[in-house]
Amino acid sequence: MTKEQVKGSSAEEEEQQAAQSKKALKKQQKEAEKAAKKAEKQAKLTADQQTTEEDDFAQDRYGVCVMLQSQEKLDRSLVRVCELSPDKAGQMVWVRARIHTSRAKGKQCFLVLRQQQFNVQALVAVGERASKQMVKFAANITKESIVDVEAVVQKVEQKIESCSQQDVELHIQRLFVVSQAEPRLPLQLEDAVRPEVEGEEEGRATVNQDTRLDNRVIDLRTTTSQAIFRLQSGVCQLFRDTLTKKGFVEIQTPKIISAASEGGANVFTVSYFKTSAYLAQSPQLYKQMCICADFDKVFCVGPVFRAEDSNTHRHLTEFVGLDIEMAFNYHYHEVIDSITDTMVQIFKGLRDNFQSEIQTVCKQYPSEPFKFLEPTLRLEFTEAVTLLRSAGVEMGDEEDLSTPNEKLLGRLVKEKYDTDFYVLDKYPLAVRPFYTMPDPHNPKYSNSYDMFMRGEEILSGAQRVHDAQLLTERALHHGIDLEKIKSYIDSFRYGAPPHAGGGIGLERVTMLYLGLHNVRQTSMFPRDPKRLTP
Amino acid sequence: TVPSFTGTADLDALLGKDLGALRDIVINANPASPPLSLLVLHGLLCQSYRVLSSVHVHSSVSSVPPQLLSCLGPRHTDSYSRQRFQLGFTLIWKDVPKVQMKFSTQSMCPIEGEANVARFLFRLLGSEPKDPIVATQLDSWVDTAFFQLAEGGSKERAAVLRSLNSTLGRSIWLLGHEPSLADIACACCILQDGKALSTPANVQRWLQACRNLEHFHCITP
Repeated sequence: MTKEQVKGSSAEEEEQQAAQSKKALKKQQKEAEKAAKKAEKQAKLTADQQTTEEDDFAQDRYGVCVMLQSQEKLDRSLVRVCELSPDKAGQMVWVRARIHTSRAKGKQCFLVLRQQQFNVQALVAVGERASKQMVKFAANITKESIVDVEAVVQKVEQKIESCSQQDVELHIQRLFVVSQAEPRLPLQLEDAVRPEVEGEEEGRATVNQDTRLDNRVIDLRTTTSQAIFRLQSGVCQLFRDTLTKKGFVEIQTPKIISAASEGGANVFTVSYFKTSAYLAQSPQLYKQMCICADFDKVFCVGPVFRAEDSNTHRHLTEFVGLDIEMAFNYHYHEVIDSITDTMVQIFKGLRDNFQSEIQTVCKQYPSEPFKFLEPTLRLEFTEAVTLLRSAGVEMGDEEDLSTPNEKLLGRLVKEKYDTDFYVLDKYPLAVRPFYTMPDPHNPKYSNSYDMFMRGEEILSGAQRVHDAQLLTERALHHGIDLEKIKSYIDSFRYGAPPHAGGGIGLERVTMLYLGLHNVRQTSMFPRDPKRLTP
Repeated sequence: TVPSFTGTADLDALLGKDLGALRDIVINANPASPPLSLLVLHGLLCQSYRVLSSVHVHSSVSSVPPQLLSCLGPRHTDSYSRQRFQLGFTLIWKDVPKVQMKFSTQSMCPIEGEANVARFLFRLLGSEPKDPIVATQLDSWVDTAFFQLAEGGSKERAAVLRSLNSTLGRSIWLLGHEPSLADIACACCILQDGKALSTPANVQRWLQACRNLEHFHCITP
């Protein structure tokens, strides 16, 4: 309202004005009250804070530890999270774990403590043992930090569905941060374990492969990764145990070699003082030399390098090869039987001892359980061709199987025999390396075999030529420079037993056993044409 | 000696053109109830053809008694070359509710039930009756065997045993002078149970005759 208006105002207007000012007064009063309340609150808060500093009775029950430099050797046993079960109820335990999630709710703070693939719910509540400040401190610990807690194990009435330890929770008495994580994580663990389909449905975030691999250390903490690599370790162990029981000797072979061992796959060249050398594509030649040196049955677990510029779901430039070579008595099927039995023992071992890992991976990447037959099904190449032709595929008798045909064949075999693992025997000689032994009954074919898991090749093997003369002939036929493989051919000149073998890719076996879709998921730090780090 | 199952069978005529690969018959059976009739028929097939027999254990079952692993006899000495055989007989011990046969998966659905698989295998021998009445009688006996003898209650079994007894009073075998699938099916279903409770005289005699048939050895110790 302007002054002029006020001056020329009628009584009516004055009245109005009076009413208005009354309103304004009331308003002012209210504001003043508010301000007072605010001030009061502020005062209370500062007072609170003061009390925080002054009388936090739980002060020495929580905090950030000094960096652990092995100052002292505490006589304190840390209980594993997986061991927290109802029979420990009422006990006071120390646990070291990561903060998986934390959720503060008034006077309580719920934490999920994670240790490898196991987790447990923990609770800090204001009370006799914990102060308000301690709860606040608990709520503010960054995710993924490592903590030591002392807590009472308590049975719960309702199962905690979100944790692996469903029947108990921890009531925290002491809480110390051993290693603090930065507040911002490059990826969230929950996002990384979310099944892809579900994520799309709910419009929630999932983490793509490259982000995972760029931050592999964090990605490897997920329950899925933990399960995958524990199972992979199981594959290796079962492989070793089974072969050792069969009387095999484990050998170590050089990976830096002077000549490319086989044609086909390209090799990495490395500078070697004044000359150059290659990274081994397979321990093939060395395994064979060991056979010629009377080791009879050998195997080797180690890195294998392939310089193929293929960016597919199943190729890596460096992977772990599980290689077998074995002298046999009369027929190379003795070796096939030995290898397939080893594979079956691995599958059985995984089925019987790694069920929880398999289930964990299945939660994120659902797949049918791996099926197999004992003894392993063996088909011959001509049967495969007939099967494929009856399914409408046009292919020549001596043509190699293309990747799509391999997969189709896998489906056809699964349909009839319900097995995810089989051997295909008697490949055409023309599609195999020079050292492959020709079939005595039909020179177009060879004593060679591939093994398949879920329709993808995991092993390629054959009876090798153990006769120096035939080996020379075959090498010449393949247009190989004899000078370069002289030492290899020479090893067979002084008496060589008939032998056969094969090599398996560890990552592929793990991938296909679990029904995963990318070999990078089963390689801890994968190497491919586009990735050299981490 | 008893006349055996003779017939002239041409696999090309029965199963279609030879495509150059082993014709492999896959049978899935539960080790909890071994299909005895199929084991007898396997023996008969081996008499007529070069059969590559193999026994496998599927990953769905964990332990199979050793006698079931060798129930198709010792491995053929030529088994390293699958192409040398006319027929494949692949028995897979598997966790299945019903016996199942898979043959030409592209054109045939899986055949379920031991009776139906037995009929298929018997026809491969080419000795099934040509007369439609006898052929139907055969089918009927096979049904009786698997539905009433194997799965029926004690009353039902007793009734079947009575009708078997009267039939066997009139002829040596169920369909006349020669043994057929009817005899194999009925005998196997009685033997499967182990306790051949109060079998009438004619049935007793006939069971002994069945046991004397060459290929019953694999199922009767």
